Amino acid sequence: MTTLDTPRPPADEAPAPIAGKTPAWLLQGEMAMCPCGCIGKRKKGSFVEKTLDGSAGLLRQVMFGEDIAERPGLLQRIDPRAKLLSLIILLIAAAVVRNIVVLLVAYAFTLVVAYFSAVPVGFFIKRVWLFVPIFTGIVVLPATLSFITPGEIVIPLWTWQGQPVGITSQGLTAAGLIVSRVALSISLVVLLTLTTPWVELLAALRSLGVPKMFVLIVGMAYRYIFLLLGSVTDMYESRRARTVGAVKHDKAAREFVSSTAGALLGKSHALSEEVHQAMIARGFRGDVKALKTFAFTRADAFYMLVVVIAAAVIVLGDQQLGR
Amino acid sequence: MNEPILECIDVSYAYLDKFPALERVSMQVHAGEKLALLGANGSGKSTLLKVLDGLVFPQSGSFTAFGEPVTEESLEDEQMSQGFRSRVGFVFQNSDAQVFSPSVREEIAFGPLQMGMGRDETLTRIDEVLAMLDIAELADRAPFQLSGGQKKRVAIASVLVMNPEVLLFDEPTAALDPRTQEWLTGLIEDLSAAGKTIVHATHDLDVLDRIADRCLVFSEDHRIVAEGTPADIMGQRDLLLDVNLIHHHSRPFGTATTDPVTTA
Repeated sequence: MTTLDTPRPPADEAPAPIAGKTPAWLLQGEMAMCPCGCIGKRKKGSFVEKTLDGSAGLLRQVMFGEDIAERPGLLQRIDPRAKLLSLIILLIAAAVVRNIVVLLVAYAFTLVVAYFSAVPVGFFIKRVWLFVPIFTGIVVLPATLSFITPGEIVIPLWTWQGQPVGITSQGLTAAGLIVSRVALSISLVVLLTLTTPWVELLAALRSLGVPKMFVLIVGMAYRYIFLLLGSVTDMYESRRARTVGAVKHDKAAREFVSSTAGALLGKSHALSEEVHQAMIARGFRGDVKALKTFAFTRADAFYMLVVVIAAAVIVLGDQQLGR
Repeated sequence: MNEPILECIDVSYAYLDKFPALERVSMQVHAGEKLALLGANGSGKSTLLKVLDGLVFPQSGSFTAFGEPVTEESLEDEQMSQGFRSRVGFVFQNSDAQVFSPSVREEIAFGPLQMGMGRDETLTRIDEVLAMLDIAELADRAPFQLSGGQKKRVAIASVLVMNPEVLLFDEPTAALDPRTQEWLTGLIEDLSAAGKTIVHATHDLDVLDRIADRCLVFSEDHRIVAEGTPADIMGQRDLLLDVNLIHHHSRPFGTATTDPVTTA
């Protein structure tokens, strides 16, 4: 057993350098760049670091998502094809609605369905509202101004050529309508993806007539995204492990991104060739045969009926209420 | 000895026509044997396995399997291709390339379904092969949720489920932990005992006598330079040094270290 207090051999007894080619500096210790400890100016991570953290977060989210799809719940019990069809019906209904109240009521229903499908409601709301409606909001923001949507100014901002410019109530209504429609549509899609295992979703797409080859490619793309994300993270970490001191996150980072992209392209090309060989080795001849078959049960039929009624109520209610 | 089931005569292959991988290689594989292809990195073992699986085609020389010539053209024939693919299975070194489906169950189903096996029989076989390889609990997982050893088992399951006569393994024990290595060595022994023909590329000499009855040794210039039983080959230290399978500092075989590193 080697113990910690074993005396080290003196330097002149050090083993001979490998084949006499080891440079002398490699045989000596290096003074650390920061002998006084690591107190100093701290910098926030670069955009590269944030992107990579984001990719790791995506992986965690996906794993969590698959976990939800396995739980017992309302939507988990429904045939994926029924879910996919009903998604399309409800998306069309949401697209024709012109009354914001109807949209909000329908949105509230998605929250209830999420609750009964074992989807944590807080997580569900965050997932929907965090990104896309915010971006939609940015896009529709100009539409609230009086020179895009003329009308009654509720918040005056400035005057231009003697005319007051501000946010109009008509503009706000239009913007609210778009944002809530987008939020409802995304909620519907997220509900489907959270409560359906990815494999079944692909199989459902296939059975609804989406070309098999397309579904195969999407499935493989999804499978290899994680492998490539892993490669990118490895490359970045190996760079970070060799980075001493502060790094400017400008040119160097951009160079890193471009060279990583190049290396990754090479890697994925080599991988794609090997994957193709692996498929051929097991009898792939250009036509894919799928394993999964679905049984359409009474519960699925009932679910479809409910969805059609809900879509009809949404559309008719909207017509009754008007804008 | 019985008739060879796979035979290469004077096979040469170069990547992009300028990086040679095989130089006039002639070899035979006989039914039921365990054949090891030994050689350093880049000596051509993997390329030969790909030739034996009809994935790359020699630029000169010929390859025949079960008495039929295997060429790009002959594999265009559906019957020939299906027969050949179902009789020869290939476990790739890179399990990530081999495990391409969204879930383990679909991965294992891929081969049998492509071969036209019925859905019910495929499902039964999947369950049986999962149980045999002790990975039943992984059936519905996605590949990115698997460890390296688990991926290797899934890759092997995806080939075994087709029940091929000949199994080609490319560096099967590379990058596996000792327990998984031992499991795989045992599996190869069992498959051989069940009558399967095994061909594997390796530079792991420790378990050679268990997983091979015959060895072909590749030199670094992509030729086969020796053939013999594991004991014959292991006895030729100069040959092994020459083809870069061992190093001057390597310990002789069978003298594994019981000598502890101690300090006073």
